[in-house]
Amino acid sequence: MSIPRPVDPAAPAPAPPRPVGAPIQPSTSASKPSTLGRGRLHGRTVLALACGLIVTVMVPTAVGAYWTKVLTLCVIYAVAAAGAQVLYGRLGFVSLNQVALVGVGGWTFLRAGHAITLPHPLLLVLAGLVTMVVGVLIGLTSLRLSGLALALVTLMAAGAFEIVFTAVGFPDGGSGALGKATGGQLSAALPRPGWLDSDATLFVYTTAVAAMCFTLLWWLVRGRAGRAWMAIGQSVPGALATGVDVTRYRLVALASTSFVSGVAGGLLATGDGRLDPVSFPAQQSIVLFAVVLIGGAYSLLGAAIAGLFYAGLPAVLDQFGVQGNLILVVFGAGLVHSLITSPQGIAGQLHHAAESRRARRRTGGSTGPALTEGSSSA
Amino acid sequence: MLPFLVAGLALGSLYALSGTGLVLLYRASGTLNLAQGAVGAVCVLIAWELHQNHGLPIEAALALGLLLAPVMSVLWGLLIGSRLAGRDPVVQATATLGPALGLLGLANWYWNDKARTLRLPTDLQGFAIAGVRVSITQLAALLLAVTVTAVATFLLRTTRAGTSMRALADDRELSSLLGVRVRRVETLAWAISGVLAGASAIPLADLTVLSASNLTFLVIPALAAALMGGLVSLWGTLIGGLVIGVLQAVVTPVAVLAPYRNVVPFVCAVAVTLWLSRHVTYTTRTAVT
Repeated sequence: MSIPRPVDPAAPAPAPPRPVGAPIQPSTSASKPSTLGRGRLHGRTVLALACGLIVTVMVPTAVGAYWTKVLTLCVIYAVAAAGAQVLYGRLGFVSLNQVALVGVGGWTFLRAGHAITLPHPLLLVLAGLVTMVVGVLIGLTSLRLSGLALALVTLMAAGAFEIVFTAVGFPDGGSGALGKATGGQLSAALPRPGWLDSDATLFVYTTAVAAMCFTLLWWLVRGRAGRAWMAIGQSVPGALATGVDVTRYRLVALASTSFVSGVAGGLLATGDGRLDPVSFPAQQSIVLFAVVLIGGAYSLLGAAIAGLFYAGLPAVLDQFGVQGNLILVVFGAGLVHSLITSPQGIAGQLHHAAESRRARRRTGGSTGPALTEGSSSA
Repeated sequence: MLPFLVAGLALGSLYALSGTGLVLLYRASGTLNLAQGAVGAVCVLIAWELHQNHGLPIEAALALGLLLAPVMSVLWGLLIGSRLAGRDPVVQATATLGPALGLLGLANWYWNDKARTLRLPTDLQGFAIAGVRVSITQLAALLLAVTVTAVATFLLRTTRAGTSMRALADDRELSSLLGVRVRRVETLAWAISGVLAGASAIPLADLTVLSASNLTFLVIPALAAALMGGLVSLWGTLIGGLVIGVLQAVVTPVAVLAPYRNVVPFVCAVAVTLWLSRHVTYTTRTAVT
């Protein structure tokens, strides 16, 4: 296994979940013993949450209507990216159907929303659960084979879903099992609940749900499941030999990451109350994987950066009149670059910079970054 | 039904042809080249551009395009592929998604994603079997796939380069210790897979649609065919490709299923994957299947 991964699951703690836009404050508690660190971590978490909440509430008024929508998309895709990232960074799984799973979640959300009246959060959970089943079923087909087989099967699944979405369409209030308005039927968007009417509220709500999804993944990564994933990612025979239930923890990984992707799909469908098949081609699933690698596969901060790249960069370049297709070239080059030289991505470099700055401050500028913990080189 | 079958066999043999390129390269270098479709797409688009806008005769344009495919393929193999040699196969395969995205982006930027048509001279000639017209393009596709499979199998068994390739597939380190010119053999494999990428993309653009996205993602049925051969067997790949093509053809006349016919490769590949994973035991050296 030549990809350098953080070996000790307890030491290099991933950054706590942080809403997009919140100030970046890498936690120092990673280097402390866990019993002592817990209290500090708690205080810091509360502080970070409070800061995050204030910043999140202020963002919509600060950036205006258009960028609020763009940032909402960024947050949504950051959640999907977090799924792909946990799978790759922890287990070494290359999942190339994450955007297709977002589509599944969105489809379920719209279909259920048109059929029954449920509180919005429950609809999200429903979308997540259905997507979880779909994601696990896709993964199950190749679970016992190598990582390459899983990558291929998910790539093909992404292609298959593109076709299915194009053929079936997304529910828009029509009758019939698929909920698609045909013939003379009037199509309708799924209305948002009254309390979610403004785009600013939607942004705050989306960020809150995304933070919950990040927390879920972070909790899993930090806990027993995360340690099992690390063992599996290092070596399957090794994990088996140490008594890790490989199949079970692989299923947990597929289920949790598919779940959050489905929730992201539900959030995506909330915006306009309808979805378009052009949002979910196989190509976009590959793009999402590329930005996850560029952002960084080993910390959840990388997923946040990936979300910004995925949904934010096209919008920014669009403002400058650059054609969206050229971004694919950048993403493709970034993907190759990350795989060859810097598997920790931008998040890893940020973390590294913060660590060395802190080390300099501690020792009055005499120590270089070489002494800091967690600076694994390729 | 019969006309669909003819079309399906032709398409299927092209999937198999492309899949053969995937398998040959995978066996020799350990890289599953997911950019194969994109390489083919760019070659065909350049040939189309030369023919349509610069007045080159179609044969010359296609020959130039066909020449470009191995060049691109070998460049990648030498510059990037060699840096990833020895990494996990999934990393090597994932890395090829980079050029796939890049080439797709460039092609869609320069030519936009509108569907174009490429008509080969061989479309106009043809003959009839049981009242069904078979064009020379379709016949050539089938013959080409069968010939390439047979010749490649024969050469892998008998020639020095073929033996080297099989040695590399088995153990890269050991083969280099035994004096196999690893780089040279790999370069040859990249070149061959490039030629096959171009050779399959040209008739595919003719029989389906000439657009970068379409041709790029036609690597998926090729991949399915290769998976049906277990990523090892060339004859398995040929049969896999033909099965996919025929199944797609069978589904096409059924109105309810017709929109989903491109899901067939996925279903076939998943079925075969499940079949292959009947008895998997974990060993310290993890093989692909």
